[in-house]
Amino acid sequence: MKVLSKQRLETALNKLSEAAEVFVPMQKGGQSGFFSWQSFKNEQDELMLDNLNVYQSPKGVVLPQTEKMYGIKTQGVEINIDQVYEDDHPTLIFGARACDVKGILAMDEVFLTRGYEDNFYKARRSNNVIIAHACYTPGDNCFCYAMEVNPVDPAGADVIIRDSGDVYVWETQSEKGEAVTAQISDLLEDKDVKLPELGSFKIDVDYTGVAEKLKTMFDHPLWDKISEPCSNCGICTYVCPSCYCFDIQVKMWGDEGYRFRAWDSCMYEEYSREAGGGNPRGAAKERFRQRFLHKLEFFQERYGTPLCTGCGRCMVVCPNDINIVRIIDAVKEAEVND
Amino acid sequence: MKEITNKIQEIATRLFNEDQVDVFLAWEQTGEEYRVKPYFARSAADVSNIVFNEYCIHNLSTSLLKFRDGSDRIGLVVKGCDSRGIVRLLEDLQIKRERLYIVGVPCTGMKDPLAAARNQSGFNNKMQTIDIARKCLDCIQPNPVIYDELIGPENPPLLQGERFAKVKEIENMSADERYQYFEDVLSTCIRCYACRQVCVACDCRTCIFDEMKPQWVGRETNVTDNMMYHIVRASHMAGRCIECGECERVCPVNIPLMLINQKLIKDVNDLFGPYEAGMQYVEGAKPALSRYDEKDPDDFL
Ligand code: SF4
Ligand code: SF4
Ligand code: SF4
Ligand code: SF4
Ligand code: SF4
Repeated sequence: MKVLSKQRLETALNKLSEAAEVFVPMQKGGQSGFFSWQSFKNEQDELMLDNLNVYQSPKGVVLPQTEKMYGIKTQGVEINIDQVYEDDHPTLIFGARACDVKGILAMDEVFLTRGYEDNFYKARRSNNVIIAHACYTPGDNCFCYAMEVNPVDPAGADVIIRDSGDVYVWETQSEKGEAVTAQISDLLEDKDVKLPELGSFKIDVDYTGVAEKLKTMFDHPLWDKISEPCSNCGICTYVCPSCYCFDIQVKMWGDEGYRFRAWDSCMYEEYSREAGGGNPRGAAKERFRQRFLHKLEFFQERYGTPLCTGCGRCMVVCPNDINIVRIIDAVKEAEVND
Repeated sequence: MKEITNKIQEIATRLFNEDQVDVFLAWEQTGEEYRVKPYFARSAADVSNIVFNEYCIHNLSTSLLKFRDGSDRIGLVVKGCDSRGIVRLLEDLQIKRERLYIVGVPCTGMKDPLAAARNQSGFNNKMQTIDIARKCLDCIQPNPVIYDELIGPENPPLLQGERFAKVKEIENMSADERYQYFEDVLSTCIRCYACRQVCVACDCRTCIFDEMKPQWVGRETNVTDNMMYHIVRASHMAGRCIECGECERVCPVNIPLMLINQKLIKDVNDLFGPYEAGMQYVEGAKPALSRYDEKDPDDFL
C-alpha cells in the first residue's frame, strides 16, 4: 500500500498548495475549523489532524459563510449586472471526517440535482477535491453509523487517508484523487502497515423508521416540551456540516452595489419572515421543529437520506443541552394517535 | 448540592400544591453530571426531575422572556448574577414582580457545562480545567439580590484581585494597537447571535439586527459588518449588562465579549455613577443611561 510519512506531511501540504488552496483542520486563536494552509502560522496555529474533529465544519469551503454573487449598476430605471463573482479557484479539503464529507454530499444533492443547479456552488465544487480521514476511534458524541455514514470508508472522498502510527495510508478513490496523488507521488512510499480496528460507538441510537413516524408528528405535544430550553441561538446550524440555508441580500452605495449570500438559520425569526410581515414560523417552537424535521424527515423524503450526518457537533456546542440523539429516541418512544 | 436540590424540589412541590405557580424554572440532568439544561416543570409530578448541581450555570432569568406575554405565574431558581437579570427585566418592564416566585441560591461559583462537553468531544487540542467557570472568577455578587426565599447562607464574592484588570490593559494600548486587537478578535465572529439570544438584557421585541426595512447592520461576515454588530450590541448593553457572563460563555469562537461589557460597566460607573446595574430593585428605577440628569457629562458632544 501507499503511505505518506507523517514527517512529510507539511511538505505534502506545501506541495498540494501549489495547485489548490488547501484547507486543513486547525486551531486558530479561539477558532477551531478548516482554514487555509497558506494562513498557517507556526507560532500561533495548531494542526488538528490528530483530533477527532474541529468545531467548524469544512462546508464553508464550498459554501462560504458570505459569498459575493454579482455586481450591480443602476442607471435611471435600468439595472445592469456588471460582474458575476463565480469563484472556481481550485480548493482541496485535507483531512475531513466521513460525517463532514457526507455533509458536502448532501449539499451536492441540494445545489446540483433535481433540475436545479446553483452556478456559484457548482463553480466551487467542480474544482474541489476531498481528502477524507478515516475514523477508527469514534468520540463520545459520534453516531454517524446510524445516519448512513461509514466512518472507515468515507463515501464521496477523492483520497482516503488512514492513520497508522507514523504514517498515513494513502488510498486514491477517484480520478480527481489520482491527479492529487500524482502531484505528491515522490513523497509517497510503498509499505505494508497494519490498520487499526474500528472502536465502539458510545451512542446507541437507531434512526430506522424515524422519518416515517415524524410524518404523523407535526402537531405532537413533544415539540413543546423539547423545544422549551432552546434559545434559538443558531449555533447548531452554523457548526453543522450539512445545514445549508442562506439568505440573499444586497448592498448598495448610490447607484452601485452587489448582491451576496450569507448563511442563515431556520432558528431565526427573521429567516422565515415574509415581505408582508407575516411569519409562518413565528413561534420559537415552530423554528425548532423545522430544524429537526428538516434533518430527520423532509430531507429523507426528498433525497432518500437524512440531513443529519451524526457528527455530534450540535450536542457539544448547544448552550442548552439540546441533543438530537435524545430527540430521535423521544420520537421513537412517542405515542401517536392516528 | 444534594441538599439544595432537595430544598428546591420541596419548595417547587409546595408552590404547585398551593397553586401559587403555573410553571417552575430550574434544571434537569440528562446524562453525565455536566449534561444539565433548563427545565420547565409544569406540575408537582414534574418536580422530581429537577436537579441543582455545580453545572447549573445557565441564567434562567432570560427564560422569563418566553413568558412575558402570558399570565402564567412563574417560580424560578436564581444565583447571584441571574437575580440581577430579574432586576433588569423588572426595570425594563418586561414582567411583573407579582408573577414571580423567586428562589435564591447563594452561589459558590459554577462549572461550565460547555467546557466539560468540549473536553469530552475529542475536538479540543488542550483540555480545559473544569474548575470554576471563567465568568464566575469575576463575580462580584454571588448572592441573589432579589428573592422570595433564600436557600442557605450568603457567600463572599468570588472576585480575587483587581476588577477590570484586563480592561485597563487594553486601555493602556495605543489607539492603533487597540484597533488591531479588536479587528483581530471580532473578525472571527460567525454572527450566530448566540450572545444576543442568551442575554437577559437583550429583551427588545424587535432586535435591530433583525430589522430588514431598513436594514441597519449588514449580514456579511467581514470586519466592517462584524464590528458594526459588536459596537451596536455593546452600546445597547451600556448600563444594562448585569455581568452574568453568559454571552462569552456560549460564544462558539471564544470572542472576549466580557472585556467589552466590562469596559462599559467601568465607563458608565465613572461617568454616570456610582452605578452598578441590577444590584437592587426599586420600583420605577431605570438603568443609568435611561434617564437624564443635568450633571451628566456632555463634553464629548
Ligand atoms: S438547539 Fe441549542 S444551539 Fe441550536 S438554537 Fe437551540 S439553543 Fe442554540
Ligand atoms: S444535526 Fe448535529 S449531529 Fe447532525 S450533522 Fe448537524 S451538527 Fe452534526
Ligand atoms: S457569576 Fe457569580 S452568581 Fe453567577 S454563577 Fe458565577 S459565581 Fe454564581
Ligand atoms: S456568540 Fe460569538 S460568534 Fe456568535 S455572534 Fe456572538 S460573538 Fe459572534
Ligand atoms: S451582555 Fe452578556 S454578561 Fe451582560 S447581561 Fe447580556 S449575557 Fe449577561
